Amino acid sequence: MQRRDFIKTLGAAAVIGAVVPAMSFAADAPKGPNAFSYKQALDTITGGKTPVKSEKIHLKVPEIAENGAVVPVTVEVDSPMTESDYVKAIYIFATKNNNVRCVAMHLTPANGKAILGTRVKLGGTQDVAALVEMSDGSFLVNSQSVKVTIGGCG
Amino acid sequence: MEERKALIKIKPKSYADGEIVKVDFMVMHPMETGMRKDKKTGQVVPAKYINSVKFDYNGKIITSMNVWESVSVNPVFTIYMKVNGAGNLKVTFTDSTGEVNESSIEIKPKG
Repeated sequence: MQRRDFIKTLGAAAVIGAVVPAMSFAADAPKGPNAFSYKQALDTITGGKTPVKSEKIHLKVPEIAENGAVVPVTVEVDSPMTESDYVKAIYIFATKNNNVRCVAMHLTPANGKAILGTRVKLGGTQDVAALVEMSDGSFLVNSQSVKVTIGGCG
Repeated sequence: MEERKALIKIKPKSYADGEIVKVDFMVMHPMETGMRKDKKTGQVVPAKYINSVKFDYNGKIITSMNVWESVSVNPVFTIYMKVNGAGNLKVTFTDSTGEVNESSIEIKPKG
């Protein structure tokens, strides 16, 4: 009778390396780091008040902008700019940009005229809005749509 | 810290005391949004934009602005100002990386 015992020695083959997979949370969220919506901006500034649409605000923006990277915007507000009645602040928003806020200008009666001119980037066809805070605490708003041929963000 | 080229222009060139003049302020600045990718390296260019502009006339701040990245590259800001005696108009601008620069112009009303 022959009997052979085969002793199978299992080498410690299963060396499981505790490899933590590289954290790959790519920052490809649709919104950028500084995203700010139009509603959010309005609420922050007016504190819940609804701004009144007004023709006192003259918003000069081209109706068609060929290049969205440079769109000239001028906001002029009819106001006597005296100590008792003046424009306190002018805000310009590009309503569909990632961060809608462009410029917030705080004026004093020493300005003489309530005018703000600048140039903004527009990511695509959208409305440009101007929100104005008067010295009596009321808010006025006006907006105009701009057709953008080539977007200016990115 | 990089020196920024900035320019202040007053229109009209000749003005009297008490007149309301137009002030154009221009500055050379890249105004990076922090969302643009470099075409060569594929890396996101970090945000760097002007976030504050202050107009200081004879030590009194007449206008201050908060600015965000939606403003174009090499921004231009146009404001109006009532001339109130000879003096100095100083513009101080800060960017999101903490860079502070200033530029000034002499105000010399005629007559």
